[in-house]
Amino acid sequence: MIDTDVVDFDKYRPAKLEVYAYKCPECGTLHYPVPMICKDCSARRDPSGVLFSSWEKVPLGGKCSLLSWTRLYALPEGFEDRYLLFGIVEFENGLRASGRLLVQDPKIGMKLVSKVGVVREKIGEDVYGFMFDRPG
Amino acid sequence: MRKVGIVGIGHTVFGNLSEFDLVDIMSFASADALDDADIRKERKIIDQVFVANVGAGLLNHQTAIASSLVSRIDLEPAMAETVENGPASGASALKCGYTAIASGMADVVMVTGGEVMRAVTGWKATDFVATLLHPEAEYNYGLTLPAFAAMFTRLYMERYGLTEEELAMVAVKDHDNGIKNPYAHVPYTCTLEGIYGSPDANVVNNLIADPLRLYNMCPVSDGAASLVLCALDSAKMKHFKKKPPILIQGIGAATDTHCIHHRKDPLELKAVALSAERAYKMAGLGPKDISFAELHDAFVILELAISEEVGFFKKGRAREAVVQGLTRIDGKLPINTSGGLKAKGHPLGATGVSQVFELVKQLRGEAEEGRQVGNPKHGMAVNFGGFGNNVVTTICSKE
Repeated sequence: MIDTDVVDFDKYRPAKLEVYAYKCPECGTLHYPVPMICKDCSARRDPSGVLFSSWEKVPLGGKCSLLSWTRLYALPEGFEDRYLLFGIVEFENGLRASGRLLVQDPKIGMKLVSKVGVVREKIGEDVYGFMFDRPG
Repeated sequence: MRKVGIVGIGHTVFGNLSEFDLVDIMSFASADALDDADIRKERKIIDQVFVANVGAGLLNHQTAIASSLVSRIDLEPAMAETVENGPASGASALKCGYTAIASGMADVVMVTGGEVMRAVTGWKATDFVATLLHPEAEYNYGLTLPAFAAMFTRLYMERYGLTEEELAMVAVKDHDNGIKNPYAHVPYTCTLEGIYGSPDANVVNNLIADPLRLYNMCPVSDGAASLVLCALDSAKMKHFKKKPPILIQGIGAATDTHCIHHRKDPLELKAVALSAERAYKMAGLGPKDISFAELHDAFVILELAISEEVGFFKKGRAREAVVQGLTRIDGKLPINTSGGLKAKGHPLGATGVSQVFELVKQLRGEAEEGRQVGNPKHGMAVNFGGFGNNVVTTICSKE
């Protein structure tokens, strides 16, 4: 019989599907992806939280608008699709991100929402990232 | 600062050289530069060697190639280092060479750039180049340099009304120059009808990253180029009597955000503008003084965008210059007289060195028949790293 007090089942559960921005503890600026120095107030980040504070992770996502896009036919090693669509979006909080587009007929300026899904499959590891789709 | 002249140049053909060893290719171009400078027997006067390369470790399973190159051409005990700065490695190595001489640390420097990318499949080479993107926010998605160039092009088209036909015209112009360049990877001409608007065009010129097609981007190339530099006030200049030195009049470099989405206006290539501004300032020149230019057209859209950022044309107006023929060999401001990356090819580490090789050829009046610019005084080369996040501009002049 398995002693559930000893076995840490949490570590076998898939990680929550989120992409995070990081909040500077000094000035509150949100960053994506995370830097080591805040561009607004020069506060330092310490991933270990030993010398300086580690920054708060804030889920990034939601409504966004499409800034530009492409349908890429020449994919790099590791992708076997005939093509994939990609875009750069701006979220309502002003942060921007690149990611996979799920719409087949994109237009600059169109309204989208973000999801998080598997964007790259590696042996023994799925990589999660942004996927942008129509609202609803 | 000391004045620095280019006193020797060398180049291999660009193309598929994957049957050859990377260091052999670089050594060939270096030996070519020694011969051009007429110092093969006195080669030990070279104090320092800078080698530009990006993929030796990843693609060719070779490291410390500067040491290997020096030994292959018998230049020991010269100082030697490898410079890796993505697609701008070549011009960065030249900048290191210039700085070494200007600082007084060296009198004679060799700068050699080379790459063998076709040792791997196109699939793998595309992945290799994409590793210069942000690993978490870009690379992981399968995004590539052509993908970002395509998104840049789409925005540019939307804002300035650029058409696919005008993009194709840049490629036609580059190939018209490339066919006359014996070093070009793709030495043939193409007609506008052949790559745009005809039934065949969709087959010949297929989409790679919508709206970019095959003829909107450079090939994956192998090759090497080399330069020999000397301080004009050095006693060692006595060895370089064969040809007049070409002055490195200005070098500027600048960086921009690693993530493309961090740029407030994604169409602004700030590092290009700033690197050019720094080079102009150092040279005491401005855009109107430039006789011709080699601009990093890994994607033909960049020839247009860079020519605007360096001040040749107003924003959104470079396409008109192409339509009017201003950037052709016989135009007012010839651009990419070598054929550019589009027709000549783009072996990453070699490209920046090759661009300056072309400046020297033109300024010496040694360009092949049909692609020599009439009496040029100042030439500019822009070597564009990443998607514009690390850019080096070089201005060379007749002494």
